[in-house]
This record gives sequence, structure tokens and C-alpha cells, in this order.
Amino acid sequence: MSLPSHAMPHQRSVFERFPFIPALGILAVLLLLNGIAEPNSMSFGAITGLTKTYLALMFLAVAQSLVVFSSDIDLSVGAILSLVNVVVVVLIERLGGGADAVLLSCLVGVLVGTLAGVFNGFVVVGLRLQPIVATFATGIVFTGLALWVLPVAGMPVPQSFWRTYGGRICDIPFVFYVVAALGLLIWLTVRTKYIIQLMAVGDNRLAAYQSGLPVTRIRIKAFALCGMLSAVAALCIIGDTASGDPVVGNAMTLYSVAAVVLGGTALSGGSGSMLGSAIGALIIGLINSFVFFAGVSSEWQNFAQGVAVLVALMAGVLITRRISK
Amino acid sequence: MKLRTTLAALAASVISIASAGAEEFTIGLSNGWVGSEWRTQMIEEAEAAAAAWAEKGVTVKVVVQSANVDVPGQIAHVRNFLNQGVDAVIINPNSPTAFDPVFAQAKEAGVLVISTDAEVSSPDAMYVGIDQQAWAEAGAAWLAKTLDGKGKVVAINGVAGHPANEMRVAGYRKVFGEHPGIEIVNEVNANWDQAQGQQAMQNLLATYPDIDGVWVQDGMAAGAWRSIQDSPQAGKIAATGEIRKDFIDLWVKDDLNSGASVNPPGVMASALNVAVLMLQGRELKEPATAGQYGNAMYLPIPFIDASNLQEVATELEGKPGFYSYTSALSIEEAEALFK
Repeated sequence: MSLPSHAMPHQRSVFERFPFIPALGILAVLLLLNGIAEPNSMSFGAITGLTKTYLALMFLAVAQSLVVFSSDIDLSVGAILSLVNVVVVVLIERLGGGADAVLLSCLVGVLVGTLAGVFNGFVVVGLRLQPIVATFATGIVFTGLALWVLPVAGMPVPQSFWRTYGGRICDIPFVFYVVAALGLLIWLTVRTKYIIQLMAVGDNRLAAYQSGLPVTRIRIKAFALCGMLSAVAALCIIGDTASGDPVVGNAMTLYSVAAVVLGGTALSGGSGSMLGSAIGALIIGLINSFVFFAGVSSEWQNFAQGVAVLVALMAGVLITRRISK
Repeated sequence: MKLRTTLAALAASVISIASAGAEEFTIGLSNGWVGSEWRTQMIEEAEAAAAAWAEKGVTVKVVVQSANVDVPGQIAHVRNFLNQGVDAVIINPNSPTAFDPVFAQAKEAGVLVISTDAEVSSPDAMYVGIDQQAWAEAGAAWLAKTLDGKGKVVAINGVAGHPANEMRVAGYRKVFGEHPGIEIVNEVNANWDQAQGQQAMQNLLATYPDIDGVWVQDGMAAGAWRSIQDSPQAGKIAATGEIRKDFIDLWVKDDLNSGASVNPPGVMASALNVAVLMLQGRELKEPATAGQYGNAMYLPIPFIDASNLQEVATELEGKPGFYSYTSALSIEEAEALFK
């Protein structure tokens, strides 16, 4: 998954090849802690609930990691999510709310997300603006568009939509199929030539350019894929919230960055793991519930969550270092 | 509607039978934004209200989740409460509509859900709080009366697109619309931020030196008043005020021409008292069917103006500057709403 260009392939340690392993360890510890603090939180229903809640963040984190791989960042993912959310919800309503309308609207939503990503890519790569500020600005533009599409939160989606998302197929919760699909997507993506090129661009942009890689196209494509996956995250949010809200995702942007880092990906680009980002999203979810189950009083919950995220970050770094030696 | 209330009461009574003997309820409080002292006070008052039930021989245990979260994070709050097996959830929601599925899940689990401060669309929940539109209407009516029904006014609003803001805008527009002599010359958004409110007021005063009245919301009022007092128009303009002690003190000291509609932080305490009575299986005299979603029970909205300013100031003596004037349904007052 990671491919530092300077290391010879046969010398790569397990942790360089699988940078998500520390995150997996932290996830296991958090699951255990949650289980001790509140045994019910380990029930099948509770795990399903956790997945339902954080599936959107998992997609958003995976989306974010793609641009981070090429040493960029996208601070508009939350706004893209919000924009796609309202576009899909409003479109379903306009088209009458049938099954065809739902499918078509979801497709249009994914298209809108991809276009938003392409726009980001154009602004960052084409106009050569700093990604952190440029995407911060495009995020405000997308929020503005979302407010234009649906000025006030509301407008329910057909029950069939959220009953499906929250329901079961063959006795297995629907969300687990989506998780499996995400896993498959990651498994397939890391095997593509594109991801190797992306890492090479992130590791050393100039070297990648000099070696003849189409750097501009590679980076824009990363933003486009990021927008597309943010749109899928929006569909998950609609499944869990059953309505349109023009600002629903805005607070999720920085969580997606945090999840990427927790998952073992460096913001400097060039190496990392998409699977790790998905695990990072679950770590954030488990930290939040653990702080509550552990009985932290309300005044200290934000503080405790912040400290816990820092501890998880440090644990990840320490584990990697220890074993890399 | 009737059927739903009956069902809710039935569900509640089943729960109360299950926990019969020494009555004991666990209520989860969820707050998704901790950006203001108002929210902190809201939770503290609710905790105090829960403790007060001990006198009635009822143990009300509250568990609190209060942190800055996004909507999915607050949905996680509710799911955590359900995992923990609470009897009721009281929530100050970050979104009016996004909780429909999780509240449906709560209802299936037999958990009572009450939202406060902001209405929710879920048919499986009930709203106990003030009517934001009526809150705005009260301030606008005071302003219209103070201006003898004629003059130029400006409005400074919160966050565009926020449901409470939209209801408030609808409220003052309605009242001013009923007074043909009153002209709204401009409406701006200052995002419920005191500094932005001050800035907006400065700009408005520079652009329209001849305005007579200002309709402004919440904490932005303190900022707007600072600009008014610093301007040559000081003393000639009437403007709505707010309910924090800092501002009330200034109001008394400078004898401001102001009136403030009260959105009391005690709304969550009121909701808690209603929740406990419902968990006891009591039935509301009038089912909660008000509001745009048909699930609201509106609480009275106090109003502060020259007639009761001194009383309010006396009541707030010794409180910290950020403390908001408050009111909540006592257990007895809440009981009076039930059969």
C-alpha cells in the first residue's frame, strides 16, 4: 500500500508495507475498552449502529487519503458532502420519490461530487494555488451552492431509502455490505498503477515530473476521486439522517484529516494506507463513545476526546518506531 | 395525534411498571454544541432539576453527552444512550430533520425522546421549548409599540439557513408587516456573533443615520448596543436587548431604551420535568401537537422591558456576567399540564 520511492522493495519492513497495523492495534484496544466500560456497546446491534454512524466518515477519510497521498489536502470534502446531500434529496423530491428517482438522483449526486473534485483539482493544480487555502475557499463556494439548492435543513427522503440503509439483507445489516464494498474498492485500488504514480508524485513531485509522469493529470484525478468518494459519503449520511441539510458535513472535514493521520498516513504525502484511514474513522467514533461510557463529566468530554485522539496518535507513532527498529 | 400520545403514554407506563418499587429513571442529555455559556447553563439547570426529584421520592439519574460534534456525532450520542439502556433522551439537536431514523430506533426500543431549544421533524419525538417565531414576534411587537407604530428599522440576524433563524425572521416580518408605518430598511446576518453584530450595527448606522429602531437577536444585541452608544444617534434609537447579566447591568446603568424576549436556558430543565412525568405514565391534558411538525409543546416566553427590568436585575445580583436570565417549569407547574 505504501511505496516510498527510495526504499528497495525487498527491504521494506512490514510496517512500511502495511502502515495501518498500528491503527488496527489501537482499534482493538478501543473496542476492548468500550466493551469493559459498557458491555452493551459490544453487542451486534451496537456495532451495527457504530458502523451506520461512522460509515460516512470512513468514506470521507478514504477520499481524503487519496489527495493526501499526492501531498495535497482537501478542506472542502465536508462541503462537497453537504452539497451532494442536498442535491440528491431535492432531486428525489422533484422526481417524485420512486425507486427510479432515487437511483437516478444518487447517480447525479456522485457526478456532482466528482465535478466538485475536478473543480478543486483545477483550482489547486491548474491555477497553482496552495491546496489548504484554495480548498478552504472552494468549500465555502460549495456551501453557498448547497444553501442555494436547499436554504433550510429539511425535506425528508422516502422511507424506503433509510429503511434500506438501516435494514438487513439476508439477515445481515445493509451497512456491512457497504463496508465490504469499500474494502473491495480499496483492495482493487491499491493494486492499480495509478496509486503507485500517486505515491511517487507525493513523495517527490519534481522527481516524478522529471521521470515523465503526468503529474498534473495524476493530481487532478486524485481530487476528482476524492470528490466522488465524498459523494458516496453523502449517500451514507442521507441513509442515516433521511433528510437534506446544507451544512451537515461541514464539521466533518477536519475529522476526515484526523482519521487519515490516525490511520498511519503522513500528511507530507508519498506513503500511507486507505484502509488505515477507514480504521481511523472508526477510532474517532470509538474514542467519542468511550469518553462517554467511561463516565467523563460533560464539562470535560471535549477535553478528554482531544487528549484521547492525541494519545492514539502518539501510540501509533511509538508502535511504528519500536517495530521499525 | 391522539393515538400517538396514548401509545406513548402506554409505552411509558410499561416502562414505569418495569421499574416499579422505588421509582428510578435514567435520562440521557445530549448537547451537540458547546460554544456558549447558555448551553452550559442549560445542562446545569437540567441536572439541578433532576436532583430536585429526590424530594418527591423519585430518583432521576442523568447521563450527559455534551461536546462539539457534527450531526453524525450527535446521532452517535443517541445510539450510545440506547446502548446504555436509558429511559428517556433529551436532546438539543444540531439538525431538525437528521434524527428521524435514530429516533425511530429509539421509539422501537421504548425510549422517550424529547427535543428542546430546536424543533425536530421526527414523529417519534416531542418538542418542549419556546416557539422561536413567537419569541421574535414579542421583541418586534415591543419595538413597534415603542416606536408608536412608525419609523425605519433594521434587523440583525443570526446564521442564514439555520431553522431557528428562519423562524425568527418570519416572526418579526409578520409583526412589522402588521404596522404599515414601519419600514424595514435593511436586514443583515451577523452569525450570532457579538463582534460581527457590533460591526454590522456600525455599518448600518453609517448607511442609514436616520433609523429609529433595531431588531437584533441574542448576544449580538450587546455588540449592536455598543455601536449605538458610541454613535451620534445614541439616545434616539430603540433596540431589542438580550438576557445575560452583563447586558442587563449595562441596560440599568445607561437606562437603555430596550426590550428583551427571553429564551431561557431552563428549557432543558422544563423538558426533563415533563419527561419524568411521562415516564411515570402520566398523560398530558393537551397532547403536544403545536408547531410546524405537530409535535411541539410550547413554554411561556418571559419578556424584559422597563416595567420589570429592576426585578430582573435584582434577581441576577451576585451571578457571573455570562449568566442568562432564566425560567423553567417547576415540578408542580409541569404537573399542572398533566391529567
